[in-house]
Amino acid sequence: MTRAHDSKQKWGRRGINGFAVAAMLYLFAPIFMIVLFSFNNPKGRFNIVWNGFTLKNWANPFSHPELTDALVVSLEIAFISTLIATVLGTSIALALSRYKFKGSGGVNLFLVLPLTSPEVVLGSSLATLFLARGVSFGIVTVIIAHVMFQVSFVAVTLRARIRGFDWSLEQAAMDLGASPRRAFWKITFPLILPGILAAALLSFALSIDDFIITFFNAGSLVTFPLQIFGASRVAIPPQINVLATMLLMGSIAILVGSLIIESRRRRLNAGPESKR
Amino acid sequence: MTKPHKRFASRPEWMGLGVMVFVALGVVALAAEWVTGAPAIGLLALLISSVVAIIWTAIMGGLDTRRALAPYGLLKPGILWLSLFFLAPLWSMLEMSLSSKKSRFDFFPAFTWEWSNYSKALTDFGPQFGRSFLYAGIATILTLLIGYPLAYVIAFRGGKYRSLLLGLIAVPFFTSYLIRTLAWQNLLSDSGPVVSVLETLRLENVMEWLHIMDNGRLINTPAAVIGGLTYNFLPFMILPIYVSLEKIDVRLMDASMDLYTTATGAFRRVVLPLSLPGIFAGSLLVFIPAAGDFVNAKFLGSPQTTMIGSSIQDQFLVQLNYPLAAAMSFVLMAIITASVLVYAKFMGTEDLT
Amino acid sequence: MGTRNNLPTWSGPKYSRRDFLVRSGLVGAGALSLPTLLAACGGGSSTPADTKTLFFENWTGYMDEETVGLFAKETGIDFKYTEAFNDNNEYFAKIQPALAKGDKIAPDLIAPTFWMAARLIQLGWVQKLDKSSIPNFANLRDDLKDPSWDKGNEYSLPYQTGIAGIAYNKKVTGRELKSVEDLFDAAFKGKIGVLTEMRDTIGLILMAEGKDISKVSTFNEAANAFDRLEKAKNDGQIRSFTGNDYVDDLAAGNFAACVGWSGDVLQLSKDNPDIKFIVPEEGGTSWYDTMVWMKGSENGSSVSQWMNYLYDPVNAARLTSFVQYMSPVKGVREELVKLGGESAELAENPLLFPDDATIKKLQTWGGLSETEEAKFDERFASIAGA
Repeated sequence: MTRAHDSKQKWGRRGINGFAVAAMLYLFAPIFMIVLFSFNNPKGRFNIVWNGFTLKNWANPFSHPELTDALVVSLEIAFISTLIATVLGTSIALALSRYKFKGSGGVNLFLVLPLTSPEVVLGSSLATLFLARGVSFGIVTVIIAHVMFQVSFVAVTLRARIRGFDWSLEQAAMDLGASPRRAFWKITFPLILPGILAAALLSFALSIDDFIITFFNAGSLVTFPLQIFGASRVAIPPQINVLATMLLMGSIAILVGSLIIESRRRRLNAGPESKR
Repeated sequence: MTKPHKRFASRPEWMGLGVMVFVALGVVALAAEWVTGAPAIGLLALLISSVVAIIWTAIMGGLDTRRALAPYGLLKPGILWLSLFFLAPLWSMLEMSLSSKKSRFDFFPAFTWEWSNYSKALTDFGPQFGRSFLYAGIATILTLLIGYPLAYVIAFRGGKYRSLLLGLIAVPFFTSYLIRTLAWQNLLSDSGPVVSVLETLRLENVMEWLHIMDNGRLINTPAAVIGGLTYNFLPFMILPIYVSLEKIDVRLMDASMDLYTTATGAFRRVVLPLSLPGIFAGSLLVFIPAAGDFVNAKFLGSPQTTMIGSSIQDQFLVQLNYPLAAAMSFVLMAIITASVLVYAKFMGTEDLT
Repeated sequence: MGTRNNLPTWSGPKYSRRDFLVRSGLVGAGALSLPTLLAACGGGSSTPADTKTLFFENWTGYMDEETVGLFAKETGIDFKYTEAFNDNNEYFAKIQPALAKGDKIAPDLIAPTFWMAARLIQLGWVQKLDKSSIPNFANLRDDLKDPSWDKGNEYSLPYQTGIAGIAYNKKVTGRELKSVEDLFDAAFKGKIGVLTEMRDTIGLILMAEGKDISKVSTFNEAANAFDRLEKAKNDGQIRSFTGNDYVDDLAAGNFAACVGWSGDVLQLSKDNPDIKFIVPEEGGTSWYDTMVWMKGSENGSSVSQWMNYLYDPVNAARLTSFVQYMSPVKGVREELVKLGGESAELAENPLLFPDDATIKKLQTWGGLSETEEAKFDERFASIAGA
């Protein structure tokens, strides 16, 4: 290899790294705006034009009850639907990765279908069913809708995650006299738990943020995204930015926390059997 | 209740599969009202008794029987949920798309084989369909162009910061979708920072020439809508590509470098083919939601950039024309399914996940 | 707790009106269908018949918190106030499923715009007000009494009234505007906004044609105005169709000018003095939002107490100084003067208390029949491109 070739490669490498940095900046540009405008001090009721720095929005983050209520509703929905979806989705993922059985191909396909349908279609078709059967829209219909797309999501992500799982561990435990149930809860479950939690967290985020499907099935219930949508047509109080920033910080905290736990775990694991 | 048939019970996996499919179709039949009245009560009783029967078989049977039935038991709750709230709704929508209303405020349309809903969907909303697929297609290509290098850098140059970097990519998407899009509205507005940067750099003419800017504005143009779609769906491209790149053994890279001598050669012959599944999954995860999106078109677009998602939403939630909205949804589904199949054939992949 | 109290009420049996596959018509077995299956896990609930409560659902930013608190304190009524009313058509779509079935909706009182109130009255979804317990009804402005679609105000009382005219950002236009024709000025290409509220947008264009909108009753009379709007959209003259969010675009300078509502612009001009509102020389539309008592609500006495409270000029003036729309209540101007400060300035504001010359320029839409209204709406929706 020639020197010129080397330097060309070096520049190529720098170029692509530079591109990656630019792409990261692009990803964070609107986030910067959101955080910045949470410190804005708008004169009227429209948080559009920068009008000076203030901390008062952060001092009164809950001063818009309709906004706070909507956030609480969203958290409730996300909590319940994630709980249901995680149980259902985990069972499906376990069935698919743990067992070889007839019809697994069909189940696989069936699971992917909701993920490959546009949200307007999912939302409007479910709403059509509810309308046709005279079900009133409200928190229950929203939870049903959320679980519907979360189940597939949890099942598919978790299955990918435990694809390489060593099921012989469970067998070994049973050989040592553990009942199948005990072997599962004592051996398998703790090992796949991080995967389950990760899938649950992501589907929690999907639920909190869902707008399109919720829009069709909420009736007069107002979730956080629906409240923002309503507010976006009239007046956007800076508290929206404050609450959004809080959600953002919460998720960063969870991310950092999970990274720390993971690296600690890895270090622990690396102790006795560092040569894998 | 009934004692399962001896020969049937000796093939527990058939029994498990049979009951699962039966129960799934049964609840669809009830929810979609294929059966009503007394037969519905009968069907419900049958569904419950078949579940009871299979539980009973599992309890009475040996370890092997239980093992064979276990996956179906695990699947059933989730499958039931999806049958009830994904399959049955599709059926309701099919019915709805062939229904008609007697008068404007007649609440529930009647099923009348109203095919004109479909012709109306296609003739009245042709431009919206066209735009949706055009914008979603461009956005998919852009996410690939931005997302691939990013995933590549993280996977191969991230070192011990890989998880952190990957997490950072996800972080912006933990703020609300709508708030993010509103922030773009702010960024791209006529007196916003992006336009003023372009103006100080005197790039307006270039942007106009590229049809990105229109009359000195960025917002309310097709470019803004495509930009919004690209931004909002970018992680769905990055993550699957990263997953497929992560699996590539570094030693394989080294070997291929020796073999093909140049980095580009190694990339083209080794890395790219191995990351195709990621590209395939990523493009589906971007294209499909983008084609049905209406948030970006609503906040960043103009009346000239309406996408089919907005039209469906408007027909359903504002005009109350449920039959037309249903027909439009079906056309959208059909076009998406067809293009996914063509794309899968083209990419030579069968694994959708 | 706001929206959380708003639990769904499950319907009883459903009524199959269709005949698709093999179906027997036994309604009783409808009980086996989805609702019942869901109800098993969802649980039902309904509001108890307590007349000391009131739930009012209003447009966003349309009442001050002080009024909400004061009314609850003075009357001891458990007053729930939400602002989820964003768009007449959208709200109608939201409540239609329940009302068409004969169920009630959660709010006792809502604030539809006059033409939507007319529709709700026609459909029989609202209740007659007990005007004997609303003595302050006497304070209703005479020009708002007795609308053609609600003779004697049996079902509705105006909440606030306003003007749709032209709002503009002088920094962008570089000149003062005065006419509807300014919206079609090629110099503002791509910087014009119009409202999704069909009556206001089309109303202004019709007036520019010299038509009297209170007399327009068929689609054909308005067809030219729609064509003109469509052409402007296709030429790229019109940038977007907006609801209340036009204020964002106006403030950000995205719009040079747009069709807008008086009160919004007054609020916005506090932030930005370049933003102005005019009643065009060809005329502006005058509209009003109403309060109607929903069918099935049992809180009639609270509804009456609330309306009476709001029609007291003192309370109406407090509301006016917040929302800055025109009040339907007589005597508000005097009360504003008494309040002093910024409120007193409002008493002199020609948009809140228009002079006779302006009043002469204002017109209100008459009623449209169901079939004609459908034609208007459909044509407008196809232009708005949704």
